[in-house]
Amino acid sequence: MDTFVHQVLAGLATGGIYASLALALVMIHQATHLLNFAQGEMAMFSTYIAWALINAGVPYWAAFFLTIAFAFVLGLAIQHFVMRNIRSTSVLQLVIVFIGLLVIFNSVAGWLFTYTIKVFPSPFPKESLFGQKYLSSHELGAIAVTLVVLTLLWAFFRFTALGLAMRAAAQNPTSSRLVGIRVAWMLALGWGLAAAIGAVAGMMVAPIVYLDPNMMAGILLYAFAGALIGGIDSPGGAVLGGLLVGVLENVLGAYVVGNELKLAVALVLIIGVLLVKPSGLFGSVQVTRV
Amino acid sequence: MSKSLLDVVDLHAGYGLTRVLHGISFGLAEGSITTLLGANGAGKTTTLRALCAMIRPQGQVTFDGQRIDARATEDIVRLGIAHVPEGRGTFVHLSTEENLRLGAYVRKDRAAVEQDFERIYGYFPRLAERRHQQAGTLSGGEQQMLAVSRALMLRPRLLLLDEPSFGLAPLIVGELFEILRAINERERVSILLVEQNAAMALDLADHAYLIETGRVVLSGTSHDVKRNDAVRASYLGY
Amino acid sequence: MSAVAPPVGAPLAAAASTRRLRLIGLAVLLVAACALPFLVSNYRTFQFTLVLVYAIALLGLNILTGYNGQISLGHGAFYAIGAYVAAILMDRMGVPYWATVPVAGALCLVVGFLFGLPALRLEGHYLALATFALGVTMPQLLKNKYVEHWTGGVQGIVIVKPDAPFGLKLSPDQWLYLFTLAITVVMFVIGWNLIRGRVGRALVAIRDQPIAASAMGIDTALYKSLAFGVSAMYTGIAGALGAIAIQFVAPDSFGVGLSIGLLTGIVIGGLASIPGAFFGALFIQFIPNVADQISKAAPWAIYGIFLIGFMFLMPMGINGAIRLGWARMRHRHSKPAQREGG
Repeated sequence: MDTFVHQVLAGLATGGIYASLALALVMIHQATHLLNFAQGEMAMFSTYIAWALINAGVPYWAAFFLTIAFAFVLGLAIQHFVMRNIRSTSVLQLVIVFIGLLVIFNSVAGWLFTYTIKVFPSPFPKESLFGQKYLSSHELGAIAVTLVVLTLLWAFFRFTALGLAMRAAAQNPTSSRLVGIRVAWMLALGWGLAAAIGAVAGMMVAPIVYLDPNMMAGILLYAFAGALIGGIDSPGGAVLGGLLVGVLENVLGAYVVGNELKLAVALVLIIGVLLVKPSGLFGSVQVTRV
Repeated sequence: MSKSLLDVVDLHAGYGLTRVLHGISFGLAEGSITTLLGANGAGKTTTLRALCAMIRPQGQVTFDGQRIDARATEDIVRLGIAHVPEGRGTFVHLSTEENLRLGAYVRKDRAAVEQDFERIYGYFPRLAERRHQQAGTLSGGEQQMLAVSRALMLRPRLLLLDEPSFGLAPLIVGELFEILRAINERERVSILLVEQNAAMALDLADHAYLIETGRVVLSGTSHDVKRNDAVRASYLGY
Repeated sequence: MSAVAPPVGAPLAAAASTRRLRLIGLAVLLVAACALPFLVSNYRTFQFTLVLVYAIALLGLNILTGYNGQISLGHGAFYAIGAYVAAILMDRMGVPYWATVPVAGALCLVVGFLFGLPALRLEGHYLALATFALGVTMPQLLKNKYVEHWTGGVQGIVIVKPDAPFGLKLSPDQWLYLFTLAITVVMFVIGWNLIRGRVGRALVAIRDQPIAASAMGIDTALYKSLAFGVSAMYTGIAGALGAIAIQFVAPDSFGVGLSIGLLTGIVIGGLASIPGAFFGALFIQFIPNVADQISKAAPWAIYGIFLIGFMFLMPMGINGAIRLGWARMRHRHSKPAQREGG
């Protein structure tokens, strides 16, 4: 029973990380109807930047926030220079561009930082808090950071004019233009925010899985599964979905399929949701007009 | 003679290879209500879209002395032109109040914006009742009022209305047009009204232009246009 | 221009002469391909064997993604299945190498078709996502403890390269190359006929106008699932041949990188193009060899740059660029009468 509780709680911790990345995926999908296959690699690359800063002597939290700023600008740049210039709406060509970005980020990280696994520090103490044995301090800290990020984001979208404008631009670009919203800028902001969230996810997960250019591939899959379960159009759903996936991964991995097949859980979830209920738990059903 | 707020000279526009407007020219005096009449496909909606740069116009469009035909929609809005599009363009997933707030997106005078909320709710009390309701769940008439209100939140100098009567019961349309008249008189908002319902439009407007296949074929005061035989036969039914 | 109508035979003659030129060209290439193993080193021959292998795989992927518009980011999985089928049959069951190829093909045909059935319900990026998930998960699926007994787990399986039969005076590399070449020719002739005929037209119609196609009476579901099956079959056959050539299969060589590599191959070579399969195969075989010397990361960086670059500059791939250039040249040099009539 003890280990079960531990698995669930640890699952919530990693689930929080999946939830963050899932949220980034949903944000981009809401605004563009596209799945950003490169989200994981962008997060990984940002985490390497954090590593480089810390290695150069920058204190952790300063590096943390600098990295978030870097990721924000990176997201902006990709939307502005790459995505905005794609003239075609062919799904295949768009997917190819995303895969191209995935590959470039992965290889540049490998080239700049080599493929040797690196240790990424955690800002949280080594000893577990309150003497309990269910969650390490880092896991607890990761949950806390995730909650803070998600709350800030929610407040931003709910209460600020810019947040409202971004929501409007994602839902109805034409009407948004008619009230004077610069839709292209809103799109760029969305990409920036999504990249920034991804960077936070990367920095929270790196101490657990160790930093290497391929660290985010599996995590991206869990994040996609979470986003799909929650509903690819629902930010709240993405968060819940991510947490659920984290718990499922741990519990199924520990008791059913074994640790080496954990990724298969993501595969089954993704295909299952896509086939059974593509709009997820909270998403809206898309109708194609002939 | 009040000054001309909007001047359109030889406007051409279309969608891809399909050209719809073949040289439309008309003007709108400040403070007036002008209506563009015509059958389906004549080019009325296309004209409004071209004015806001939702499609690229060729020709000269002058607003308050400035050329706007080469500007982007977002900039044209900032000059004080509010467009209530065909189909209303409501942000259906957002609340009534959020829709209104977006109407004032480009404005910097926050205190005045809050006052405007009250003014708008004064004109449209039904919206006040539904202020936190999701806009997509409002009735057709209420959504039309919301669309007009959103445009008014800009404190525009020129209001473009695209077929506001579409799909609404005559009683509601009458109500709406009365409010439009009041807004025009009290707030000095000039109105360019595109309508298929010629009778109601001619009752509201001061001036009218008749558009057929992308060209202006008749213009004059609404009083004169109402009495024109061809118009009476084709558009007024008597 | 001329007031007299051009001679009736002129346009037909032009088409016939292009066909003749093409056949002559193909024949020349075939002769050169057969002569290759005798002109270069064993290692080079081995490399070109892999080029042929990739060409078959790329033709397979193109049938599905290029011609039929179903995006697969997980085709490495079918390649892996073919490779492991060959390895397991040869190593665990003593089946001769040449028999493993049709078995791999048949198995992948079925598996691909079965995968194609649920795929019918997935469009565009969702299909890409599902296949991406398959591609990422494949190594884990191959390594896991339930199948370890067959797949050899992390260590994989080592197989022996076959010797030339009938005591022919060929090195194993040379023989394997010629064997692969024969299969390549067969697969491409079949593929060419498929694509040029009704099937190919149906696939393209489904890709471009799915609703109109089904309204015209094309059984979209059947064709799409078959496309998956046939595509998987080709890639599975390639996998089997590849395994025999490399003499080794291990889970980590069949990760998402392989799927991305195949995708890159058809983008570079040309989507919906048959000759493009060879251009793409040359690219994915030799670029990593060259780029590897600069840095371990370089091959992927190049793939990424080419993927994005081609999407912006040359969406039709190398084959498309060649055809465009060829068409322009022919237009400039054609006689006035032919231009008028054709």
